[in-house]
Amino acid sequence: MNRRTLIIRGAAVLLAARARPASAQAAPVLIEMKGSPRGERVAFVPSGVGVAPGTVVRFVNRDAGNSHTATTYHPDILDRPQRIPDAAQPWDSDLLLPEDAFEVTLTVPGVYDFYCVPHEHAGMVGRIVVGTPDDTGWQGPATDPGDLPDAALAAFAAVDVILAQGAVLPPGGDPT
Amino acid sequence: MLRSITSLAAALLLGALPAAAQTAAETAPPEAPFAKVSELVTLPDFLPGLGTLYVDPASLPAGPFLGYDHDGKLSATIYMTPIEDLQDGTAYDDLAVGSNTVTSVDVYYNAGHPGVEKPHVHVVLYHDAEAKARLAE
Repeated sequence: MNRRTLIIRGAAVLLAARARPASAQAAPVLIEMKGSPRGERVAFVPSGVGVAPGTVVRFVNRDAGNSHTATTYHPDILDRPQRIPDAAQPWDSDLLLPEDAFEVTLTVPGVYDFYCVPHEHAGMVGRIVVGTPDDTGWQGPATDPGDLPDAALAAFAAVDVILAQGAVLPPGGDPT
Repeated sequence: MLRSITSLAAALLLGALPAAAQTAAETAPPEAPFAKVSELVTLPDFLPGLGTLYVDPASLPAGPFLGYDHDGKLSATIYMTPIEDLQDGTAYDDLAVGSNTVTSVDVYYNAGHPGVEKPHVHVVLYHDAEAKARLAE
């Protein structure tokens, strides 16, 4: 564990301590950032996941030859279209080196779309569904494609599939 | 006489290349303007398959990138050419090489990384027969 990871973990613990409800003490849900050995394919694994409100989601870079981010689509971050619930706070992991990690606690029900900044054009995007459409305050997926590249738009898993399966692999499967 | 002509041709070829091509150090680090890629962008020091990379930032995105093994031996010269730029008519001509000895070349697709974020092609010139193995991990 390097200093950067420690800092990230420390910050994540502080955030979690402030935001995580007492009822949600389960282990974080893991989303790994992966790539093929020569970098032909990169992806979040899983690329779609359903979680309960209050869940901690942990991103870990498992790609030995690349850096990745987990960044929400939001005007406050790189002036991108909003693709998270109105009441949710946007987040950005910044670039993570191999084995670095980032955690975020998701409390607002709805659909959160995120991407890897250097790999959005390669279709490295993900979708987290927090809660279900029956939850108060639920906000469904964005429908305006905005400025997203076609490769990104094509890679989002359908919300109903995520809700049915719990976790969805990226198009083409695990790139490793 | 034939040998002399060959040597002259080689000398002329070298003369046509940018200065960096003639001064690439056999052992890391190469002289400025080359800089360590991991100090320019957020990437690991050693990239599996490519090695520890150095590049003249003015030559981005194509490079040449100089790839050194774990012992600091120059092992590969790498070029990174964005596919979109190639499709739009950009040509990358007269690129320098780190060493005049090339034993094999690999060409493959890369989805992007910090520094060259567009999907691009890696052209890897290996400078000795064992270079690929030394750079693998």
